[in-house]
Amino acid sequence: MSSPAPTRRRTTPPEPGPIRPFHLPDLEGDRLDSGLEVRSMARSELPLVSVCLVVDAGETTVLPERAGLAVLTGDSLSGGTAKRSGAELAEALEGLGTSLRVSTGWNATTLSVTCVAERLDPTLELLAEVVRSPTFPESEVDRVRRQRLAAIRQRQMDPGHLASDELDRTIYPPEHPCHRPLSGQPESLEAMDRSQPAAFVEARYRPDGAGFVVVGDLAADDVLGWARDRFAGWEGSAAPRPELPPVVLPDPRPVVLVHREGAVQSEIRIGHPGPARGSEMENALEVGNAVLGGAFTSRLNLNLREEHGFTYGVRSRFERRRRGGTFSISTAVETGATARALEEAMGEFRRFVAEGPTTDEVEQARDYLAGIFPLRMETAPQLAAGLAEILIFDLPDDYHHRYRDRVRAVSPEGVRDAVQATLDPERAPIVVVGDADALERELEALELGPVEVRRPDDVGVGP
Amino acid sequence: MLSIDFERHELDNGLTVVLAPDPSTPVVAVNLWYGVGSRDERPGKTGFAHLFEHMMFQGSAHVPKGRHFEMVERAGGSVNATTWFDRTNYFQTLPSHHLDLALWLESDRMGWMLDAMTQEKLDNQRAVVRNERQQRYDNQPYGDWDERVQALVFPEDHPYRHTVIGSMEDLAEATLDDITSFFETYYRPNNTVLTLAGDVEPAQALRKVEEYFGEIPRGADPPPVPGRLDPGAVIGSTVREQVRAQVPLPRVYVASRIPPLTHDDFYVADVATSVLSDGRASRLYRRLVREEALAKDVVSYAFPLVTGRSFMTSWVTGYPESEPAELESALLRELEALSDVTDQEVNRAVALSETRLLRQVERLATRADMLSMFQQIFGDPGRLNTEVDRLRAVTPDDVRDFAAATLGAQNRAILTYLPEEEAE
Repeated sequence: MSSPAPTRRRTTPPEPGPIRPFHLPDLEGDRLDSGLEVRSMARSELPLVSVCLVVDAGETTVLPERAGLAVLTGDSLSGGTAKRSGAELAEALEGLGTSLRVSTGWNATTLSVTCVAERLDPTLELLAEVVRSPTFPESEVDRVRRQRLAAIRQRQMDPGHLASDELDRTIYPPEHPCHRPLSGQPESLEAMDRSQPAAFVEARYRPDGAGFVVVGDLAADDVLGWARDRFAGWEGSAAPRPELPPVVLPDPRPVVLVHREGAVQSEIRIGHPGPARGSEMENALEVGNAVLGGAFTSRLNLNLREEHGFTYGVRSRFERRRRGGTFSISTAVETGATARALEEAMGEFRRFVAEGPTTDEVEQARDYLAGIFPLRMETAPQLAAGLAEILIFDLPDDYHHRYRDRVRAVSPEGVRDAVQATLDPERAPIVVVGDADALERELEALELGPVEVRRPDDVGVGP
Repeated sequence: MLSIDFERHELDNGLTVVLAPDPSTPVVAVNLWYGVGSRDERPGKTGFAHLFEHMMFQGSAHVPKGRHFEMVERAGGSVNATTWFDRTNYFQTLPSHHLDLALWLESDRMGWMLDAMTQEKLDNQRAVVRNERQQRYDNQPYGDWDERVQALVFPEDHPYRHTVIGSMEDLAEATLDDITSFFETYYRPNNTVLTLAGDVEPAQALRKVEEYFGEIPRGADPPPVPGRLDPGAVIGSTVREQVRAQVPLPRVYVASRIPPLTHDDFYVADVATSVLSDGRASRLYRRLVREEALAKDVVSYAFPLVTGRSFMTSWVTGYPESEPAELESALLRELEALSDVTDQEVNRAVALSETRLLRQVERLATRADMLSMFQQIFGDPGRLNTEVDRLRAVTPDDVRDFAAATLGAQNRAILTYLPEEEAE
């Protein structure tokens, strides 16, 4: 069989048709007397509603000796309420076809549910009950703690997670919360009982500092009334957040090599501190990141994957927190290609910071980011998470509505300047998780910095 | 509750076209289901369907290597593809004024892919796939569980005996001739469903599809799936494998052959897995995780496969000190206890599935993919709108009968992972 003779129109890409502009739904915002911020968006294509309740109870608000307390609290929150056991609560929610997800990050704890619109009232009632009257039964807290301890063990034996955790440990000083994994460490978790989550909720799950977000098939003017009714009597302010210590990178730049016996691949991380969410440079850095490693057609992926076949993929990203953030390059490569892949990645990183992106690359990245924005804000849960971000990071209410304008205003010089002001490839710590016996000498030969080999005992890994 | 509008057409060359207009946002999802997957691979050629999927992004007669991703990203779209047992899907979601671009790219590789194949591209993507396998299977705790479970559940000559990723030894032998013959055998318009969901005007969209795809010639019907497709309803006994590996926690998998997606009983299997592990009121969570605190986590899943038989897997992850035998007997006990499943449990499973389905179709990309699936497998995209009715028709008696016939000792593959001995 031979290919059909192509018609003339096939030889060049087609021109786009007329643009139909995309509009986010309008956002309604208000604040209750208790301090609870309320945001909503109405849309009615499908009979679904997504609700988020965010509280100022992220992991950066806990003391070092209590590492993991915010996560443990979030995980055991649905262990029981004043009215119901944990099992009864699950029955009630899931009988409505929904489930409560509590996710705790560095910045906040978010309770989210998505339900069929006609079941919103009873769902909200249960959500309010959970946040207002959690009882933290001892058996539930103990179980959740055991699960977290087991999960730490799982993270330590998963090379990708292990590499990411080691990178944070290398970038952040020991007194900084981000030095340790989000969900804590065995020592801190083992010392906890049910009294700590209860006290943590008392101190931090407060309406002044919290936000309530509703998106979906609803009449927007109801939302404020619901919030008043459901959260009546919920009062008080979240305790002040502790100050975070400054981040000073180790000098000279360390190359941490974590030994994993017989590993067929190496997990590579290159990292650097970065700016907080909502910084002036945010969009320039986002465009820059798309060029360097944030998109499939980024420089890093085209080099390491499409040109050299070292990896299934490589990505870079900025994780932006309320205070500060982390830039990282991540990939997994064949053991035999580790040194060459690291050299290529560092080469791209250095060249990008030194020279900045080309005009064409910036145009492509801007069009990509502005174009996929509707896909990032497509569903009720995505929109609800977007509004929750506004509250968590104290962003202006039109933050998402103006996102594409900000991205389109980014220039190549703006990217170069922001990148140079933010990232120093010669100081960026490097972590490799792989077979140290095969890699140590090769990594030393790259002369990127002193190679520090960590054997499983040093990182608390099992066998 | 669900009423997704759609229309269906067939071009002269056999390409089935599903159009599901929804103008609420100026975005369109373009989704193709090729009726070929790992099930179609011959012995010695495993992993081929997936390698081929990678090659489809390496350019075609009028699209240089790397430009497919670049052009879609430049247009503000996202693009990818996946290979599965029974099909290979390709999809992009992009601003609707770039619909032509997606149709041009997809039709160029459907019609003119071979013109652009080179040994260099093949070698490059073979290395990428080797890394994919290492990352997902070889360097990942429990990463090879499906490979082991499939080999226990299906006999040597069944197409689900091997995984989608396949054998790297087989891939090492792949040649450009293999690529050519695979393309000519399976990548034909008459073996394909194209779905457009979102901001499209149906008559205009159909005209465009005709313009871009109409000139691609129909191919011969693809050959039958190789192997013995129906190996029997049950494995015939309880088969076991125990693996000592670099895993953090003991884990026990119990897998069984079940009826295929196309059989009414598949919905019963789906409800059964949901009763077992969907949510915290589910049986495995409530009893093994919460009440008895034996398990750290639990999962139960029925694979939606169509070729002869499918399989269902449940697993229980223990704690460091857990006895695998205890995990196993607790899981088996719960599978057997499905005989007393209640109305309330079935209703809850259906309610959770209903919400999940709404959430899935909220994403245009998923909506398009589901429409392609229902067309490709059932010949009727409209099944998407009535899917919940079929779940709702499942009764506790159905679940009890299913469990008795399907989850007993005559039909179990039990795979146990044990952490390697602690080095003292």
